[in-house]
Amino acid sequence: MIKKNNSFLLKILLSSIVRRRSRLMVALVGIAIGATVLLGMVTLCYDIPRQMSREFRSYGANMILVAAGRESLMMRADIENAAALLPPEKVLGLTPYRYETVRSNMLPYTAVGVDFAQVRKTSPYWHVTGQWPERDGEILIGADVAEFTRLVPGRGLTLEGRNKEQARYEKDVTVTGLLKTGGVEDGFIFMSLESMEEMTGEPGFVDVAEISVMASGRELRDLAEAVRSGQSRVEARLVKRVTQSEETVLGKLKTLVYLVTVIVLVLTMICVATTMMTVVMERRREIGLKKAIGAENRSIAREFLAEGLILGLLGGLLGSACGLLFAQVISANVFNRSVTVEFYLIPATVLVSALVTIIACLIPVRRAVDVEPALVLRGE
Amino acid sequence: MFWKMLNGALVRRKGKLVMIAFAVGLGVSLATAMLNVMFDVGDKVNQELKTYGANLTVVPRGASLMDELYSLEGDSAEPPRAEKYIAEADLHKIKMIFWAYNIVDFAPYLETAVKGGGQEISLVGTWFNKHLELPTGDEVDAGMNGLKTWWDIRGQGGDDADETGVLVGEALALRLGLGPGDSFPIESLDGQVGATVKIRGVFHSGGVEDEQIFAPLKLSQDLSGRPGLVQKVEVSALTTPENDLARRAAQDPGSLSRMEWDTWYCTAYISSIAYQIEEIIPGTRVKPVLQVAESEGAILEKTQLLMLLLTVLAMACSALAISNLVTANVMERSAEIGLLKALGATNSAISILMLTEILITAFIGGALGYFAGLGFAQLIGHGVFDSAVEVKGLVIPLTVVLVFLVTALGSLPAVRMLLRLRPTEVLHGR
Repeated sequence: MIKKNNSFLLKILLSSIVRRRSRLMVALVGIAIGATVLLGMVTLCYDIPRQMSREFRSYGANMILVAAGRESLMMRADIENAAALLPPEKVLGLTPYRYETVRSNMLPYTAVGVDFAQVRKTSPYWHVTGQWPERDGEILIGADVAEFTRLVPGRGLTLEGRNKEQARYEKDVTVTGLLKTGGVEDGFIFMSLESMEEMTGEPGFVDVAEISVMASGRELRDLAEAVRSGQSRVEARLVKRVTQSEETVLGKLKTLVYLVTVIVLVLTMICVATTMMTVVMERRREIGLKKAIGAENRSIAREFLAEGLILGLLGGLLGSACGLLFAQVISANVFNRSVTVEFYLIPATVLVSALVTIIACLIPVRRAVDVEPALVLRGE
Repeated sequence: MFWKMLNGALVRRKGKLVMIAFAVGLGVSLATAMLNVMFDVGDKVNQELKTYGANLTVVPRGASLMDELYSLEGDSAEPPRAEKYIAEADLHKIKMIFWAYNIVDFAPYLETAVKGGGQEISLVGTWFNKHLELPTGDEVDAGMNGLKTWWDIRGQGGDDADETGVLVGEALALRLGLGPGDSFPIESLDGQVGATVKIRGVFHSGGVEDEQIFAPLKLSQDLSGRPGLVQKVEVSALTTPENDLARRAAQDPGSLSRMEWDTWYCTAYISSIAYQIEEIIPGTRVKPVLQVAESEGAILEKTQLLMLLLTVLAMACSALAISNLVTANVMERSAEIGLLKALGATNSAISILMLTEILITAFIGGALGYFAGLGFAQLIGHGVFDSAVEVKGLVIPLTVVLVFLVTALGSLPAVRMLLRLRPTEVLHGR
């Protein structure tokens, strides 16, 4: 009996789908749009704070390493040990800095030894006119130094000074580029760490190291704490100006995206429900006819339920595919990166669209089955 | 006849048309909210980014390096008098440039070494919350309190009215063993001028400031013997992200053509604001702080692009949803259309009737949706930025065009389908 009933339901469903192709297309498109927006927006909602936090790294380093205790210098090996305590995929760049007072033409300058490949990651706002130094003996000079000394790229100069053992050193260097940041860097001279160590004859020392970490708020504080407790020679400090401001702005952006998502989702879901209701409402005559020839309310509801379920699942799948595309398009255009997909969201989207569809179907069906068949059939 | 039929249709089919109006209203409210937020998000985020502090520094021309060089030598003697300064009396002019309203805040600084607690301390004179009356009649408040929002202050914040009230950096306070409310004497390095200052608050900045004292400007001028002078000024300005024109102008404003120059001067690029400050206070050099300026530009651009794309896609989706609903609605009227056709109505008469009917409904729904959308926009504005989203008039024509296009285009496929109907078949009930 049950089997027979089921096969009848299947028959009704099939014929309903075949006979009413165009109407079902309309319903399917509606559900698919809903699912697209649902998956697309939720995926973005997950991804945007992460991507934005990457953009915020253009403000430069948010953590610095300095020697612990009363020491003023750190060993490079200590820094590497400390940096190893941070998860490598979170570290965008690590730049060691070594400061040294040198003289040229009797005038004093601050020379800074850095790793040029890393500094481009930790301080992306550095603006260099000319070339970045690549070889030993090539230097960058700050814009203020350049204005004061009238040096231009290509010119050479001699740097001299004394190291900690009071031994004199001297080095001929060539300017390859001018550095402009608008900050204190404009008054410094930059060379590679290797060049500086070769010049002073004191390898392995570093004053401070800047790290750009892909984290903010509590996560960042936990990471700094991990470095502090993991070893005792180096202390990790957060650059308050960068971290505090990032937390504020990123927090606002997150709330903005969440609110927009919620509003868009609510509106879209209502839209899907309205479409489904319209599609079902025009079938009141059919419902009336079925009731007139003896169908029970429950069996009618069951039929619509099954139809809604199929439509919801199909539309949900279709929409999921489009939604991923939607998120991908936005992510690629705005952040030049592909979106990270949370895969459990796909079945969730399909389920939600099926649920919304079923609910949207059942509301008009309930109303239709309550009506006297004779009235419906007469067209009232 | 046309109006009678139209009227009849509108009244008879109330329920169905309410559905269309409702859907259009939803779509329009979405579009209105997103458009309003999108147009305003730039300003709002820009305002938020001000928490990163000043993006321009004003220094006296030609003197910027000297101080750093002399302090590097490590000799504690006073720098030579040949050093250049900016006159405090000129500072209010910063609020009188072409882009005056984009200047959010600014504060002057005069750093001097003093003796206190048996050691040499760096004391920085500044404005905390200075009230200025401009010659233009405007009144503004300027000072450091609005620039260093990331400082954690224990005790009270700085106040210009309290002439001997100072803020002390955390590290220095620890070294001196002093806390908020304590008083201690300081004197200039040559011992000529002295004062007793009261600690209003202890701050933590995470930078070199933690070793310094921040005092009202007057005090530092007296202690350093430089009345009416300041060393540098930090300015925080709302700016437009840089583009090619701005970058070329920053290199050399002289290289622009007349037209380009006008465009550049009248846009709030950081380089043009810098140029205007240099113009109004002669003898200064204004340097954009690239760390703040460049990053602000990058983040603003990303946020705006993100909102634009979200708006476009959300609107495309709501357009599809609306046209879908319209199609569904039109299709169920096949019997009615069949009857009209059987009675001899021309295709064009039917199309016009249907389109007018739908458009009227859509506009009623759209008008309601617009106001709902304004509500949503304010919800977002207050929820996120704690301030109202500015209502842009431009959004109205945009949504009107949107409603028109979406409903007209959305009903076209359905109308075409109806026109192809054969009256006999439809009326027969197939």
